[in-house]
Amino acid sequence: MTHITEEDLVLLYYNEADAPQGARRHLRECGECASAARKLAQDLAVCNEWGVPEPDADLARSVWAQIAPQLDESRPHRYFRWLRIAGVLAATATLLLVAFVAGRASRQRTPSITAGLSKQARERILAITLADHLDRAEMLLTEISDDSQMSDERARAQDLVEEGRLMRQTLARDGQTPTLAMLDEVERFMLEIANAPERTTPAEMRELRDRIGSGSLLFKVRIIESNLRNEGQKL
Amino acid sequence: MDLGDDIAISRARRGDRDAFRVLVERHAKAVYRLAYRMTTNETDAEDMVQETFLRAWKQIGKFDGRASFPTWLHRICANCSLDLIRARKRKQDLYRTSDDDGGDPFAQLPAAAPSPERLAQSSQISAILVPALNDLTEMERTAFVMRHYEGMGIEEISVALGVQPGAAKHSVFRAVQKLRRVLEPVMSAGR
Repeated sequence: MTHITEEDLVLLYYNEADAPQGARRHLRECGECASAARKLAQDLAVCNEWGVPEPDADLARSVWAQIAPQLDESRPHRYFRWLRIAGVLAATATLLLVAFVAGRASRQRTPSITAGLSKQARERILAITLADHLDRAEMLLTEISDDSQMSDERARAQDLVEEGRLMRQTLARDGQTPTLAMLDEVERFMLEIANAPERTTPAEMRELRDRIGSGSLLFKVRIIESNLRNEGQKL
Repeated sequence: MDLGDDIAISRARRGDRDAFRVLVERHAKAVYRLAYRMTTNETDAEDMVQETFLRAWKQIGKFDGRASFPTWLHRICANCSLDLIRARKRKQDLYRTSDDDGGDPFAQLPAAAPSPERLAQSSQISAILVPALNDLTEMERTAFVMRHYEGMGIEEISVALGVQPGAAKHSVFRAVQKLRRVLEPVMSAGR
């Protein structure tokens, strides 16, 4: 019989059900495999010597004392959630109005609504608005990476899709291609989340999380968001 | 999940803080153990316990009982700890790139002079093991800590990490391989 692989020895050591059938019997009969198993056990036994310092007897009490005042803030009340949605809708409507008026104004070759603002001020507003948008997208992507189900994420994703489209229009006018490409990528995910069924299967959630992780989307969003925030502060 | 947890969870989902406190008291130590193995530092581990329970409170409405409550908490704790480790690495990278001569001067000090605090806190084994654990990938390190120290099965680890069982198994195996490579010189000297 062929010898037991190192991977199977690890499974045997940890008593995993996946270990191949007959491997234990082979281990009793084969001196070479038995010696490899002994060496593995010795190596892993060394890891057991790294102990965890006993936490304070009052650990749970002190954790509770620290988190209790923050519990109400960390779970948003339904009322505040509606307020936030209303805020996002108002911001979106304002942006739409600004875009519409600016469009009309540029067609009529009259000074635009932002004409009174310096180039620097306009760039600053854009950088901060974009950073806020990406911050909300980042929060949503992080929550999806941590959770096993989606519920209110779908509505938030829909808000972000609409918001993102306006941002893209503005960026396209300014020719900011790298940020534009990233916004495209974010929008694709947001659309998927917005249109996902309320009860997603674990496999679907896994697949979505894997894709968020594999394209390093979250990482890229964080970097660009932080760059924009710095840019906005500098301008 | 035992009956006590079950009742406390359903009350906590309805916003009952006392019920959630019961869960904190029951599971804080287990979460601390995992956080310590992940962060290798007592202060960070305590911070991670707080962060884990804050996130758990925020997300408990989404806990559907498919994984056990401790597994679900372990997953949150692993994610919190990984966020901290990533932030630490980013900071280290920043120092490294901003350093003119291209190296961390502290890293070049002789390793044979540990601080009194370190001497008191870590054995020779942890001095070898902890850097080796830090060199593993995030997935390998988390899967190994969960398998070896927390006694979680491959299936449970895959649920906690949201990956396929094959990926969890492979991560444990790769971690064992890498750690053995680091331990080899120490072990062969003693054999």
